Amino acid sequence: MIRRCVLALALLVFGAAAQAHKASDAYLQIDVGDKALAVRWDIALRDLDAALGLDANDDGQLSWAEVKTAWPRIQGYALPRLSIAGCPLRVSSTALERRNDGAYAVMFMASDCVLTQAPVITYSLLREVDTTHRGIAKVSRAGRPMTLTMLTPVDANPAASTAGAATPEATGFIREGMLHILTGYDHVLFLLCLLLPSVMRRTPEGWRSVDKLSQAVWPVVGIVSAFTVAHSITLALAATKLVALSPGFIEPAIAVTIILAALDNVWPIFSVRRVVVTFCFGLIHGFGFAGVLAELNLPTWAFAAALLQFNVGLELGQLLIVVSVTALLFLLRHRPRYRGLVIRGGSLAAMLVGALWLIERTANVSILPM
Amino acid sequence: MRTPAFALAVALAAAALSAHAVPIVPTRDDEVIDVLPAVNGSRAEERRLRRQLAEAPRDPALALAAAQRYLDQAHALGDPRFAGMAMAALEPWPDDAAMPDAVLLMCATLQQYLHEFDASAASLQRLLARPGEQRPQAWLLLATVRRVQGRYAESDAACRQLAHAGAALHATACVAENAALRGDVARARAAFNALLADRALPAATQAWLRTSLAELEQRAGDASAADVAYRAALRLAPDAYATLAYADFLIEQKRPAQALALLKGQTRSDAVLLRLAIAGTQAGIASAAADVAEMRERIALANERPDAKVFHGREQAMFVLAVEHDAKRAWELARGNAARQREPLDLLMLAQAARASGEPAAVQEATRVVHKMGLRDRRIEVLL
Repeated sequence: MIRRCVLALALLVFGAAAQAHKASDAYLQIDVGDKALAVRWDIALRDLDAALGLDANDDGQLSWAEVKTAWPRIQGYALPRLSIAGCPLRVSSTALERRNDGAYAVMFMASDCVLTQAPVITYSLLREVDTTHRGIAKVSRAGRPMTLTMLTPVDANPAASTAGAATPEATGFIREGMLHILTGYDHVLFLLCLLLPSVMRRTPEGWRSVDKLSQAVWPVVGIVSAFTVAHSITLALAATKLVALSPGFIEPAIAVTIILAALDNVWPIFSVRRVVVTFCFGLIHGFGFAGVLAELNLPTWAFAAALLQFNVGLELGQLLIVVSVTALLFLLRHRPRYRGLVIRGGSLAAMLVGALWLIERTANVSILPM
Repeated sequence: MRTPAFALAVALAAAALSAHAVPIVPTRDDEVIDVLPAVNGSRAEERRLRRQLAEAPRDPALALAAAQRYLDQAHALGDPRFAGMAMAALEPWPDDAAMPDAVLLMCATLQQYLHEFDASAASLQRLLARPGEQRPQAWLLLATVRRVQGRYAESDAACRQLAHAGAALHATACVAENAALRGDVARARAAFNALLADRALPAATQAWLRTSLAELEQRAGDASAADVAYRAALRLAPDAYATLAYADFLIEQKRPAQALALLKGQTRSDAVLLRLAIAGTQAGIASAAADVAEMRERIALANERPDAKVFHGREQAMFVLAVEHDAKRAWELARGNAARQREPLDLLMLAQAARASGEPAAVQEATRVVHKMGLRDRRIEVLL
């Protein structure tokens, strides 16, 4: 028995040295721009098959149908295994290409981040599949020579990588959250609709302006808290994939919340308190935020932290809007035309925009420039 | 209009990134995008093994079965990805102290395959320091690794331990191989022939011994004896190593047509393609151009990894010297390669490149390396 084993081994060691070698490589092209970052990532389909089993019918061939079907799994596998500190990545488009050693999946990604230094890349692709896999990254920065970096996959568990990566990541996701509420015009418009009457009190005769700032602040705090709690709940539910709602439903629903909130400013339509309405509508907006979050490249090891940071960013952005808008409205509240122009006019304008968004999002046409 | 525009954008992006990449724009669901490498046995079985291993990552039996399967595939196809996949099956053990004996031995085997010779020797020494049973396989592997590194005295020591461990035949062959490398040809030849006198040996063992004998005769400059031994080995049990060694011999003997005939039908691994390109160039046949172009492209692709020149040094040096005729570059590659891998072929490349470079300093350096190791090889001696 020993003899047989030794023989097998002898043949094995004897035959080893002459073989050669195109090992598993993925290719990254990272373009660091003044205002944004662009990444192109090429991964061999045969490596992805080893990790994910793309060959559904086990015939040794990958058909377009098999690749197409597996594409969400490919992205779900790959994206958490690449992170660039401070730059959450979104996939903008995809492609396939043929190289000397087979077909590759290609993902084009982008991030709005601004990097003043060379990107700090954390890479863990295929670590559990092939220890000789490497990422070959070509990094281009304006005015500098291209650099070539070989990325050795690292253990992507929290113990190994949070220490080094947490600090830059944190600001990245907080910033991303702020950006998404400040540039998410539908959420801003919804908040504005809620805030427009905040410096007024509803009386049987209609809106009357408040006398003291505290009379405006407490209802604002209540409304903002309700909105925050509600969207945090659904954001967490959707981000952890416990609840999944189609964007085809959520996006029009958000437009409807704007229309109804604006309508309520002009003609009272809700029999319950505004805080309750805000809470219900906030639930819908949370799903909208989650849609954004799903496109981001969240490393699994820091998912909870990233989610929290993203939400903190949202709240900071929201606070900024609320404080500045409330202050402005409070100063304007005694103007004779506040009710007519600001509440009525503002609400009607919001209703119009909300209605156009609703048409755009249900009919899939483009009317508004944003 | 959208699809052609998209295709064009992809084409331009691909062209900008790399001359090696061509976009694929599938038109039908059943269009084959990629063909996966051949596997031993059924794919479903392989998938099941992989799944079982994922569920029980530190099960030694499963990990060894997977590693062995991938290593066999790496050998059969000359495809290094499988060696990395084999290594990944051993990855769940935090360090080699925690690895069971058989797993540590497999780890050393894979390190040797991946040309990590120092790491392989270190793993083996840790394994051999463990108390308990005799470990002939580990001693044999250590002897091989030290021989490949050109550390013949250490290889001898491992061969002696192999004898103590009870593997008499392998110990004798081990000692004879080292003796032959240092020029003790007559005794080594006698030892191999004595072992081959046992007709009851399995065909694969006989083929292995005949290949060793063929290499011995080749180094000693007896071309006809080498030819006879190579052909006998390949008749007994054709294997990839002996095929490549015989192809190199035929190229050396300026018999490229026979080399091409021998390699026809072999899996086009880098090693096989390299010999096809060299033999085709030597023969001056029209089809050589395609093989040369493909080899050049594979080298360019491999060199995108900064460490490729170390890892592929031997093949690249052979290609650059025999096909590209760039002596200076060949010398750099051969020198880098010989820093870690010192089989006779590696030193032959070093000597040829040194001679071709016309640099006396290069020739002196190659001579120094060969003398220090104690290798005796007529092919090298006529060059230096």
